[in-house]
Amino acid sequence: MTGAAARLRRAAVLACLIAALPVTHLYAGPQQDYILYCMGCHGPQAEGVPGKVPPLAHSLGRFMRSPEGRNYVLRVPGAANSALSDAQLAEVLNWVAQKFDAAELARGAAPFTAEEVARLRHNPLTSVLATRSAVVRQLSSTGSAPPDQY
Amino acid sequence: MPMLDRVFENSARSLARRTSRRSVLASLGRLLTGAALLPLLPIDRTARAQGAPGSGKSAVNDPQSCDYWKYCAIDGFLCACCGGTSNSCPPGTQPSPITWIGTCHNPGDGRDYIVSYNDCCGKVSCGDCFCNRNEREVPMYRLSRNNDVNWCMANSESDYHCSVSVLIGVAEPEKK
Repeated sequence: MTGAAARLRRAAVLACLIAALPVTHLYAGPQQDYILYCMGCHGPQAEGVPGKVPPLAHSLGRFMRSPEGRNYVLRVPGAANSALSDAQLAEVLNWVAQKFDAAELARGAAPFTAEEVARLRHNPLTSVLATRSAVVRQLSSTGSAPPDQY
Repeated sequence: MPMLDRVFENSARSLARRTSRRSVLASLGRLLTGAALLPLLPIDRTARAQGAPGSGKSAVNDPQSCDYWKYCAIDGFLCACCGGTSNSCPPGTQPSPITWIGTCHNPGDGRDYIVSYNDCCGKVSCGDCFCNRNEREVPMYRLSRNNDVNWCMANSESDYHCSVSVLIGVAEPEKK
């Protein structure tokens, strides 16, 4: 598939995803928080944007497997600078992992707690790329790992 | 026939006896005054106002007006004026994969709706129907809530053409 064709395909898929979103009655909670505070960049299916925005689908639960991965997730700009409270952030991350990376979560990764979020998020990463790369390398030696090109 | 003539003549004479030119003028005056005052009566005209061009009420439901309720934080050209609709990009452009998501209040049903503002990218600026509304928008320090951002930045062709406003759902108040 050529680059142009791939771009067109991605645009078509995105248009379908947006058009397919039903105007439903939502309930205040992690799903609504995800839509209002995360989905603008990470996308309706937490798929991210290739090369630009990291995916959370098939990715977040993998980070939750190791202390280094959890540390990384809670200190990336999107989490550290989020307008959500510690408790809301913990809840929305757990919701995303359950919804978009359930198989990985079923292997035993513990959910985030508000206390853990409060302890880590207030010390934002200075070098996101290098930290991610090191964490992903480590995760790939113990099982499936998220993509590292972000 | 003479009988018919008599009937009409009698009724005309009877009417002339009972009325005068002055009373006819008075009745006519009352009628005209009443007709002039009729629009002042308290009648519900909202339905008609909604269809009136250029009025504030109709603009709230007009996808080609900046006052359309779901454009509450739009900053750019309306795709509805550029060959697309309020929620679909014009032919030849692609929706931005990243976007501003917020809420807009619908005065029609009194509820807040979650709205996704996607930019349509890949062609030069449309130039028609420029709008800049900033309800619940925040300055640049919180990028995801700022509408000055060119959301086409994540597209392979980052030229901005116009903006759409897609309804995602009904927003519920945060739990306390």
